[in-house]
Order: sequence, then C-alpha cells, then structure tokens
Amino acid sequence: MGPARIASPGADSDARAAFETDALEFVDSLYRTALRLTRVPSDAEDLVQDTYLKAFRGADSFKPGTNLRAWLFTILHNTARNRARDRARDSVTVDSEVVDQAADTPQFAMAGRVDDPETLLLRNTMTPELKAAVDELPDAFRQAVWLRDVEEFSYAEIAEMLNIPLGTVMSRISRGRRMLFGRLQHLRPVNA
Amino acid sequence: MPDCSRIDPLVTPFVDGELPQDEQQTLTQHITACPACRGKVMAERAIRSVMQARRAELSGPPAPASLKARCARLDSRPVPAAPSVKSEFPSVPSLRAPAWRNRVAPFALAATLLLAVGGAFIYQATRSSSRVLAAELTVDHEKCFRLNRLLGTHHSPETVEASMASAFDWKVQLPDEGGQGELNLVGSRPCLSGEGKMAHIMYTYNGQPVSLFMLPRETRASELVQVFGHHARIWSEGGRTFVLVARESASEMEHMAALVRTTIR
Repeated sequence: MGPARIASPGADSDARAAFETDALEFVDSLYRTALRLTRVPSDAEDLVQDTYLKAFRGADSFKPGTNLRAWLFTILHNTARNRARDRARDSVTVDSEVVDQAADTPQFAMAGRVDDPETLLLRNTMTPELKAAVDELPDAFRQAVWLRDVEEFSYAEIAEMLNIPLGTVMSRISRGRRMLFGRLQHLRPVNA
Repeated sequence: MPDCSRIDPLVTPFVDGELPQDEQQTLTQHITACPACRGKVMAERAIRSVMQARRAELSGPPAPASLKARCARLDSRPVPAAPSVKSEFPSVPSLRAPAWRNRVAPFALAATLLLAVGGAFIYQATRSSSRVLAAELTVDHEKCFRLNRLLGTHHSPETVEASMASAFDWKVQLPDEGGQGELNLVGSRPCLSGEGKMAHIMYTYNGQPVSLFMLPRETRASELVQVFGHHARIWSEGGRTFVLVARESASEMEHMAALVRTTIR
C-alpha cells in the first residue's frame, strides 16, 4: 500500500487502470469502517459503493504520492456526513456536550497509582466487552479513536477526513480513549 | 510547575509520539509529580495498546464478495446512452489469413501475443447482462496481465492452436513465430480462476494490453460496452461469443476486432 507506486490517475489509461485496481484493494478496510459508522451492513455496503463511484469519477483530484487509503477514507466520511446531514442529524454536537461532562473523572488518579494499567487492561479485557464499549462511544469519539488506533492514520489525515481542526482531532481521540478506559475500568472489580 | 489544565492537551500527542521534544520534557516532569495526569497518560496508553492488540477481532467481517464485485464493476465515466455501434463491423477488405502481415503492420498490433487457455468463468448468457460480462472480463483482463508480467511464459503458436483445438474445438490460426511482422506470440498459461472453460488470448497493441475472450456455446447481441475505463467489444460467430477488452477508443476497438476475426474459423 505504499502510496509512492501509485501513478497519476489522470495521466493515461494505464495509470488509471492501476489506480482503480489499487483503490479496490482497500474495500475490506473501507467496509469495516463503514460498518462502524452505519452499524447496518446494508447501509455500509451502500456507503462503500458510493465511495468507489465518487473515487473513480473524481480520480483526477487524487494527488499522486499521497496516501490513497486516506483519500478514500476522506470520501467515505464525507459521503457519510452528507447522508447524516440529509437526515438532519448532527450527533457530533450533542455527543460533544455529553462527553464534556463525562470526561475528566477522578478515575485517572487511580490509574496513575496502579502499577501497570496497560497490562491489566490487556489481560482482563475480553474482546466482546471491548467491542461493546467501542460501540457505545458517541460517534464523534468512536470515529477519532478508531481512525487513530485501529486504522493508524495521522492527525492531519484524520482532520481532513472528519473535516475538523487538528486540535479537535486530538481532543476527540483523548476523550474517546478516556471514556473507553473509564468504561472498561468500570467493568472490573476494583481492587487494584 | 504548570497546572494540569495546561498539561492535559499534551497527553494524547505524547501517547501517540507526536509531541515535540521540549513539550515532552515539560509533560514528563509534570507527571512524575502528578498522579492524576500520570493516570491520564497511562489510561490513554492502555487503551491504545488494547485497541491495537485486538485490531483483528475488532475489525469485524471483510467486505462481502458481492460488494467487491459491484465496486469493481463501477464505471468510472459516463456511458453514451445509445449503443455506439450499429454495424457489425466496419468493412475491412480481405480478412483472409495471409493478410495478417499486411493488416497487422499498419495497426502496429505489436510485439506480443500471450495466450491463456482455461479461464475465467463460464458466464451464463441468460443470467448476466453484457455490461456485467464486460465488467467481469475486464477484471480478468487486468488480473491476467498482471500475473503474466510475473510469469513471463512463452509458447509456440502451434501449442496454442493445438490447445485451442483440443480444449474448445476452436480452430484458430495464429501467425508463425517470427513470420508475422510485428506480432509475436510469447506465451500461454491457464487463467487461475478456472471454473468453466473459456479461452483467453492476450495481445499487446502499441504496448497496451488487449484481451480476447472466447466463450463457447454462447451467442450474444453485438455490442460495444464501456466499463471500468475499458471498452469491451462483444460479438458472436459460429455459436461462440467473443469479447475483446482494451483501453482503446471505439474506432481502435473496431479495427482490432476486425483484425482478430481473421484468426477465427
């Protein structure tokens, strides 16, 4: 997936073919993220298909040498956002308010005192409960944490995808992670 | 010592290794003395680790095959509404076999002819539209050329003709090796996604890949389909369907199709 080998899609037909083939390699990764955004398989499929349609038609706007996967993710998120807007939902605003109140609870002082919360969490957290905790996160924070920790995009790439300032990317990742920690912490008998 | 509210925004970039050196120092000094901020760092680091460790399980199922197929079929450009080809073929005088050299050279149908027997799929005429067929063959075309670039096999025209005759009862006349002007047969190999039997002959035309697919026991209406940045020229003859796939203009497609017909008996 090295972006360097991706030629300019508009240059000629061969480069375009290569571009389309390269783009199609990310269908799994896009689908999984779409599923996380929509939570409904048929909606996720729809979203991915729409993403590819836009990507192929807008291939000329892709800058060779940049990250093709990030570019596709941006289209995916833009498309999802437009759809959400069409449905007149703006969950992000609401979510932010909820989390503003939820964040920064005293649990972190405790985390700072236990020997190794990382090892504890890795050892004690079952995948289903982690999954459930991720799913329960408000959209805005789930997206940010997911794009950073699972998909490993840079802050700048995430800012572009979510169409938010860099500082907001960091604060959403921060809050998303802390919320997750709080929830997973809560699931365990506390005696550490 | 800076207060916690000024340290807080540094925690996430610190955990992600994105904090400049001087700020790293500030933060490190602070958290040595402040359990609350140290707790935030450890909490975020723990979450990051557990997310990364469980990435595979968290990721969920891969995209369904049907979705992949639909995406691969998406046309990247608008298609002219009306069928762009009315006539069966533009008139090409004298399509007999000896005309190969003369016919090939002007078109520079050049350099290489690759061949694959076996093949992609049996496409059921009744079940898939021309557009779907064209899309699927275009994917095979791309895939086979990519594979062939790695394999670089070489077979004689006789081998290819013999395998076409035995596998498909298809008498195809290929120019002799070295005696065909700019057209060279360089290889044959079976397509890998073989379920049914379909012949796949690969050419290059001015260095660009061109595929000819032959579907036995099938007839379809003559058509030029634009899909996935390619043209697919479809026609039937003698109870067989032929599909020529390339990234060429409609008129070049017609030239090539007419040319290819000289090899079909």
